[in-house]
Amino acid sequence: MVLELHVWGPGFSLPSIDPQCLATIAYFSLLVPKDSWTLVASSDPTISPTQELPALKNGSTWVSRFRNIVDYLRQYSNGEWDLDRDLSALEKADNVAFSSFVEARAQALVDLSLYVTSQNYYNTTSPAYGAILQWPNQWILPPQLHAAAKARTESLGLSSLDLEAVQEQQKRDHSADVAAGRIPQNFIRRPRETVSSMLGKAPQQHQFRLEALTRELFEPLEDFLGDKTHMLSAKAPSSLDCLAIGYLSLALIPELPHTWLRDLMLRKAPRLSKYIERRRRELYGVVNVSDAFTNNGRSSLPWRAPERARLATIGSTLLNTLADSTPILKDIRMNNRLREAAKSSDSGLSEVESRTLSAYAGAQGRDTLISIATVVGGFAALVGYMVHVGVFSAPEGDGEEEQQGEEEEGVTALPESVDVSDFLGNVRVQS
Amino acid sequence: MTSNNHSSDIPDQRPDSRTEPRRIRDFFTVPAPIKRVFDRFPLATYPSNELPHYSWPTRYRNRLFVFSDAAGARRGRPSFNPQCLKWQAYLKFVGIDFELVPSNNHASPSGVLPFLLPALPTGTSTPIPSGKLQKWAIEEVHCEEEQQLNLRFEVYSSLLDNRIRNAWLYNLYLNHENFEAVARRLYVDPSTTNPLVRSVLASQLQQAARDELLKTSSYIDASALEAEAAEALEALSTLLGDDIHFFNRPNPGLFDASVFAYTHLILDSKMDWKYNRLEQLLSQHENLVQHRERLLKFF
Repeated sequence: MVLELHVWGPGFSLPSIDPQCLATIAYFSLLVPKDSWTLVASSDPTISPTQELPALKNGSTWVSRFRNIVDYLRQYSNGEWDLDRDLSALEKADNVAFSSFVEARAQALVDLSLYVTSQNYYNTTSPAYGAILQWPNQWILPPQLHAAAKARTESLGLSSLDLEAVQEQQKRDHSADVAAGRIPQNFIRRPRETVSSMLGKAPQQHQFRLEALTRELFEPLEDFLGDKTHMLSAKAPSSLDCLAIGYLSLALIPELPHTWLRDLMLRKAPRLSKYIERRRRELYGVVNVSDAFTNNGRSSLPWRAPERARLATIGSTLLNTLADSTPILKDIRMNNRLREAAKSSDSGLSEVESRTLSAYAGAQGRDTLISIATVVGGFAALVGYMVHVGVFSAPEGDGEEEQQGEEEEGVTALPESVDVSDFLGNVRVQS
Repeated sequence: MTSNNHSSDIPDQRPDSRTEPRRIRDFFTVPAPIKRVFDRFPLATYPSNELPHYSWPTRYRNRLFVFSDAAGARRGRPSFNPQCLKWQAYLKFVGIDFELVPSNNHASPSGVLPFLLPALPTGTSTPIPSGKLQKWAIEEVHCEEEQQLNLRFEVYSSLLDNRIRNAWLYNLYLNHENFEAVARRLYVDPSTTNPLVRSVLASQLQQAARDELLKTSSYIDASALEAEAAEALEALSTLLGDDIHFFNRPNPGLFDASVFAYTHLILDSKMDWKYNRLEQLLSQHENLVQHRERLLKFF
């Protein structure tokens, strides 16, 4: 059986545009013989049941995410395909800790460099996605990924890289802060900045922040690598090497208009940069986008061209997008994402655990259904009441009559015409 | 009077120019009956309120604002929020005297707890947010900045800040039974007695946790979260080894406090967990359990 590895397609002369996919490709090319796996640049997360890439397909089994694929390969080959097999206990602990460290910190920097920095996103990243995606995904997915990257890096407070956020903020600050004297006039009062002038003069505090962020990531890695040939042990690469190559090659390799990340990396971690550059040439070579879409390319990776999207797939993509942007449907779909995790048989949960989990997800689903039922019921009651009062039965009546009808609710049916003296007479009798 | 003679050709002007200002004045003056009513106010003047003060002697102690209940805060019990407990434990370990004030996120200037109001210098009331607490503590008691001593400090911290935190978020907020039994009791019920507000607060809490988890992945996989937490605990256990404290330091420090914040709450029977997979995972590592028990003696 040939394993199929589905990934985001190539970009920036790397075999994938996504760090997790790059790490998985590195892992496969280090470990798995070339004739037992194929690489498919499907670039469509909906092909996997978990809606994630990278995803490994073996027959009818799907496994997604780097960590799960590594585990699956170990089980599949009875422990033979495992880069971390010979690690000592301390090395194993380091492997886990540094992996988590790289995933968290480097993801943030790659997000900032490729997505949040507006000039890079619009000039390079977005066109790169355009080259690998099919219609209509090329209009749907990049904005989603862009928004997700922005959300992930929001807490870092580096919005100066994001021109849209800057302009919005400027408008808001202009009146309030200048009046309060909190921000120096000359900082805000620049009329209509061009893209390049703004990025050239990124505010000083953000420059410091970027320096600190990159130092926090690169210094421990540079020290840890030292003069070794691999990250963990001198003898053989480990899964940590794959993750580091995956994430850091996206920091180092892409040719971007605004290269702050590469510059900082070269300056702060020269040994690490050399290591990443050497390893990615060995493992990936230089990849053209066209390599991924021909079956017998000259590339060192076992590419297989992805299938053309069928009409059904396109239809379901459009439907899903529509559903995801509809308020109540969105909630239901969110909960389904949790439920699928519990119900899939290979999720590794014990019997009791998965029952609890699906009970929970089910309860959540019920909550949503109850709120829908409440809304529908409330609306039906309103319509019923209006019919009862006679709003609909006298559609030719004007607004005044309807209002008076509401005032007399429950007392009498709506009179055909209301005379002022009648009305006053009624009031007098009642009082 | 001479002008009258000159302007005799426009006789109507005189009466007009005399009445116009009076009419305007009439328009703006308060009518007499209303004025009489308002003249009676104020009916009574009460003495001004005293400035707010606290019943406990606050002036010479640092005050740390944390999630806690009143009884627990008085006795200095560990907070039930990992972030708060981390800083509470750290300040205790480095020997800074402080008292706890039960609080919530809305009271914090930065929007998150904990924060500290220093006793000195007197007169200033600039709160110190959690991000600057370590710097403040170093200036205060001249303890070491532990990040500088070992390159693994930051790296292993990421295990706590990401993997274990994610598993914690899932365990506390998204597990239905735990949320009803634990999170509701600790975070929602003390805020208000109004059932409507409670249910809104509860769903906001759960939504915040869900959003946080969906930031890093496109769907929430409970088994993956637990597997990652298991790996993280194993790595921490290996790092501790047979030492008394992390990085073999003579006294507990910031890293010990960060680990303790989670291990204590996972193992604490007072939390009353309904479903606690993390406890099963943690109790496999005897040295982490003992580490927690050693540090619990500080409280």
